[in-house]
Amino acid sequence: MFKKINLKNRTALVTGAGKGLGKACAIALAEAGAKVIILSRTKSDLIKVSKIIKKTKGSSQLFVCDVTNLEDFKKVLKKISRLDILINNAGNNRPQHFTKVTQENMEYLTNLNMKAAFNVAQLCSQKMVKEKNRRKIGGSIIHMSSQLGRVGCEGRNVYNMNKFGVEGLARGMACELAPYNIRVNTVCPTFVETPMVKKFFKNKKFKNKMLKNIPLGRVAKESDVATAVAFLAADSSEMITGTSLLVDGGWTAQ
Amino acid sequence: MGIFLKDINLKGKTALITGATKGLGRGAAIAIAEAGGNIIALGRNQTELNSLKREIKKFKVNYLPFNCDVNDYDRMKLFISDLKKLDILVNNAGTNIPESFLNVKKSSMETLLNVNTKAVFNIAQLCANQIIKLKRKSGSIINISSIFGIVAGQKRTVYSMTKFGVEGLTKGMALDLAKYNIRVNSVCPNIVLTPRTKKYFADKKYNKYVKDNTPINKVVTVSDVATSITFLASEAASMITGSSIVIDGGWTAK
Repeated sequence: MFKKINLKNRTALVTGAGKGLGKACAIALAEAGAKVIILSRTKSDLIKVSKIIKKTKGSSQLFVCDVTNLEDFKKVLKKISRLDILINNAGNNRPQHFTKVTQENMEYLTNLNMKAAFNVAQLCSQKMVKEKNRRKIGGSIIHMSSQLGRVGCEGRNVYNMNKFGVEGLARGMACELAPYNIRVNTVCPTFVETPMVKKFFKNKKFKNKMLKNIPLGRVAKESDVATAVAFLAADSSEMITGTSLLVDGGWTAQ
Repeated sequence: MGIFLKDINLKGKTALITGATKGLGRGAAIAIAEAGGNIIALGRNQTELNSLKREIKKFKVNYLPFNCDVNDYDRMKLFISDLKKLDILVNNAGTNIPESFLNVKKSSMETLLNVNTKAVFNIAQLCANQIIKLKRKSGSIINISSIFGIVAGQKRTVYSMTKFGVEGLTKGMALDLAKYNIRVNSVCPNIVLTPRTKKYFADKKYNKYVKDNTPINKVVTVSDVATSITFLASEAASMITGSSIVIDGGWTAK
């Protein structure tokens, strides 16, 4: 009756896999049995992640790649023989008050969080639909969204715009890829203990204010998000598509 | 327990499931037992409560049946407030009487409100109070909702009214119970093939309606829903509260 999270014989590509959530997802997927292809701009980070994966008896292949460079990403895809799962994770944030957002930051965030997310998803989908047994074994694409893809927050207007966009993209993709049995979902975490959030939380006033907004009274762990991602990647969720798994401790329920 | 992949393990936990004799409730009971949880099964059919015992006992967990109508508040209260162990509630008992809005009978409207709304509220309240009284470290309540808790369907006005209500209740409960570390979520399945829906699927027009509205070309199974319920019940979902897992093959993404 219960469908275990099992990714044996599946190949998963994880972008932004050098640090934070991407790293956690890559390791969790490997722990569930997947062969993992990890991408990041920083080779030393990727080597560390692949060493952890090796320790858990998993297998990985690493590529140094900036996902905003479409040609580079295409080259990576050419070197991969198979793809069943995409964790479209690479992203960033530069909080600024709406009236003060610089053109440079808006362009940088939108290029990474939206344009690259779209391009990576499109290229991977094109590869995934070609697989002969795709309809039978299915495929799964998970976009790393955020609770800020569901509600607004101070200083997060560009990030809000980007992540609400990703939520829309996921639903559109879900409709179009369903005939191939490729599912598309997002995960919407609250603040997670990642290097990116640690930086924001140096501001104690901000940290306390944000914690007050999480009914469960704690930030999420990387493993909370990575487990949700693994659940969506596996056949445990084979009828879940076009939706979001909120890992937000109740933030958006208010 | 992996580094980033959390186990879905309910060993030592006790789950109360309403409407446990048939369909989704029965599936949830079996899946939770499979994950190691002890089962308290509520239902009105003694023969089925007995046959469920044989299935649950296979997993070497405790089984406590209780023959009771969820509308019988006094008996429910007596039973629940006497429980020595309780961590999880699968608030499943529900029904439907499809009628077009203009012809909805007063008696059907009242039946649905009593079972799907009032009894759901009462049982959730009784169980939450008991989990707090027993000083459990954590708790998880899963309300069984529906895609008709998110969108409307033909001849589903009362059902939608009750299930939209359950969605609201879920979010409200999540906020009030967060400080006790009791998480509250719902699952929203598409039309699942169960003893109750069998008669709907017998109608060819209805069959086509479901198929045409489900981008992933499959019917949701009891096992699909039971798996999501078990995930939410476990500590693998320890940061998920006040939200819904939508298991609809893309129905509501359109």
